[in-house]
Amino acid sequence: MSGNFKFDTLALHAGHSPDERHGSRAVPIHQTTSYVFQSTEHAAALFNMEVGGHIYSRLTNPTVAVLEQRLAALDGGVAAVATASGMSALFITVLALCSAGDHIVSSSQMYGANINLFEHTLSRYGITTTFVAPNDPAAIKAAIQPNTKLVFGEVIGNPGMDIMDIRAVGKISAQAGIPLVIDATFNTPWMIQPLKHGANIVIHSLTKWMGGHGAALGGAVIDGGNFDWGQNDKFPMLTTAHFGYQGVNLWEEYGPGAFAARVRTEGMMNVGPCLAPMNAFLILQGIETLGLRMEKHMSNTAKLLDFLSGHEQVAWVKHPSLPDHPDHKVAVELMPKGQGSIIAIGVKGGREAGRAFIENVQLASHLANVGDAKTLVIHPGSTTHSHLTPEAMQAAGLTEDLVRVSVGLENIDDIIADFKAALRIAGKVAGTKS
Amino acid sequence: MKLQINGKSTFVSTGGRDFEPDGDVLLFLHGSGQSHLSFLLQGRFLANRGFQVLVPDMPGHGLSKGAALTSIEEMADWCATVILAAGVEGPVNIIGHSQGGLVAMEMARRHPAMVKRAVFIATALSIPVNDMLLDLAKNKEPKAIDAMMDWGHGPVGHMHDHTMPGHSHLAYGRQLMAANETGALFTDLSACAAYSDGPVAAALVTCPSLCILADMDKMTPIKAGRKLVQTLPMAEVVELSNAGHMLTTERPFEVNQALRKFLAK
Repeated sequence: MSGNFKFDTLALHAGHSPDERHGSRAVPIHQTTSYVFQSTEHAAALFNMEVGGHIYSRLTNPTVAVLEQRLAALDGGVAAVATASGMSALFITVLALCSAGDHIVSSSQMYGANINLFEHTLSRYGITTTFVAPNDPAAIKAAIQPNTKLVFGEVIGNPGMDIMDIRAVGKISAQAGIPLVIDATFNTPWMIQPLKHGANIVIHSLTKWMGGHGAALGGAVIDGGNFDWGQNDKFPMLTTAHFGYQGVNLWEEYGPGAFAARVRTEGMMNVGPCLAPMNAFLILQGIETLGLRMEKHMSNTAKLLDFLSGHEQVAWVKHPSLPDHPDHKVAVELMPKGQGSIIAIGVKGGREAGRAFIENVQLASHLANVGDAKTLVIHPGSTTHSHLTPEAMQAAGLTEDLVRVSVGLENIDDIIADFKAALRIAGKVAGTKS
Repeated sequence: MKLQINGKSTFVSTGGRDFEPDGDVLLFLHGSGQSHLSFLLQGRFLANRGFQVLVPDMPGHGLSKGAALTSIEEMADWCATVILAAGVEGPVNIIGHSQGGLVAMEMARRHPAMVKRAVFIATALSIPVNDMLLDLAKNKEPKAIDAMMDWGHGPVGHMHDHTMPGHSHLAYGRQLMAANETGALFTDLSACAAYSDGPVAAALVTCPSLCILADMDKMTPIKAGRKLVQTLPMAEVVELSNAGHMLTTERPFEVNQALRKFLAK
């Protein structure tokens, strides 16, 4: 080897060597539930975590393992565990760290399902959460209690695009002796590797930019290996005898990989949100071009921002790259290659104008996803949040006129033409155009 | 388990099994800037195959307290103390990786009655350390760690192709080394650089010995390993292809197979 491989090379190769028997260059899809043991001794060694290998695809699978190793390489983590979705990745992360009576400090401005998990699901099992503005490190610090087990947030909040300064929050969580867990779905490791900036655990929804083609659901937990689980007595699941595996003490026996080992041996074993091998393959295909796609996402986003910022039918435009974004400075410092391809705009004329815009785009797809190769749009006021009053929407960080755009990879001239036509119709609905 | 060695709390992994000092004991010795975790895929494996396993963290490394030891000779004497503190009376099998191999040689010379067999993994008669790496270890330790992880791994490590599903050789190695006390790496490398008694010590290793070498080892090149084989009076050798210096994690199945075969004799 001539040196450590760079990002684009890892995106194509990491985690996989062509198999010696067949020489398959592409990652094979191991569509199997289970694996033949070489002997009873081999089986026992696998079950006792003495050797690496595969037992049952709920725990590990060769195709999924390639994806996991590629993700670990791209994010700089010691290990990764792939899951069926980003939400299951978050759930089994909390499962590995928290028990009844424990507490979480979380960003208040993030993906609704994340908030629902903390507020409505985990609370029923005795795990409480204090929600704090992600861009207010002092408030995050003040919210930490003796029973707090983790701080959670997104680098780029969904959908409001508030930026968490993970450098500052990472210092706060480190001082408190608890890990910083970051949902990095909106940034991908191409934009920022949170583990290098203070995060200890990274979670991805691979469904979005990582897979990038809207074809497969998936998630992942990346263990940074950079947290000292033995520094206090807050994490007995990692530092005392495991309920299985001959009572292994994961911190002592696996060191930097202790957290990933717990996720694998509890979250995957006892809950089982495993990623399908076919989905792992599809996501791997997407990751191979992650760098290329992200560059195009960023350049298309910049050009679309130019168009929207000067358009008479657009009331406002929100994106971290714009100087008037409240977290612009932090965003550029953390993510100098680009600040994401999600744009929020306000269509003049309120809820009805927003609806008209959405219903009249032709190229862009109206759906509830982001990070696809294709341009996507959604109008929360007439869809996901249509049942809310204007006041309730405002409390959720949304406005009636808000349209969320996930900028795709089409030729930017075509995207702009599509938006121009739909905005013209929205203007007629709003009465600002004749 | 935790032992008190020279007044300092010392962590000794027993491979996840209770330690019986009367059994066939394996003492694993880690390399420069490493810890017991460099034998992650050997200790637990052999502890479950009838061996009594001791994998200590040297002072200032891993979960052990105290200042890093400054010479190979001092490390050898410290290991003898560990053996006694663990309640072991008979001779033990010493398995050293890299710097740990130098310590194993010195153990065999200074405490011959304590050594039953010796295994040298990616070791040579001497381990010279270039000035650039020493300087980095002293003044920019993270960069020294990065360099050692780069040079220490072969194609398998650099491709993140791990036998433990989902793991990264390079990142795991970096975090393992970063967890040690600051300065421990420089002290280790200085001890290696200063050690010149290898040819004498190796010639005095009269117990059966095994050298496990890697063809793509940049830190203790295979040519240097072969000189060690020629110097040891009773040496066998296993050479692994397509492997780098960190062969315990890059090629664990082959290393374990070689260990079992040798230890079964």
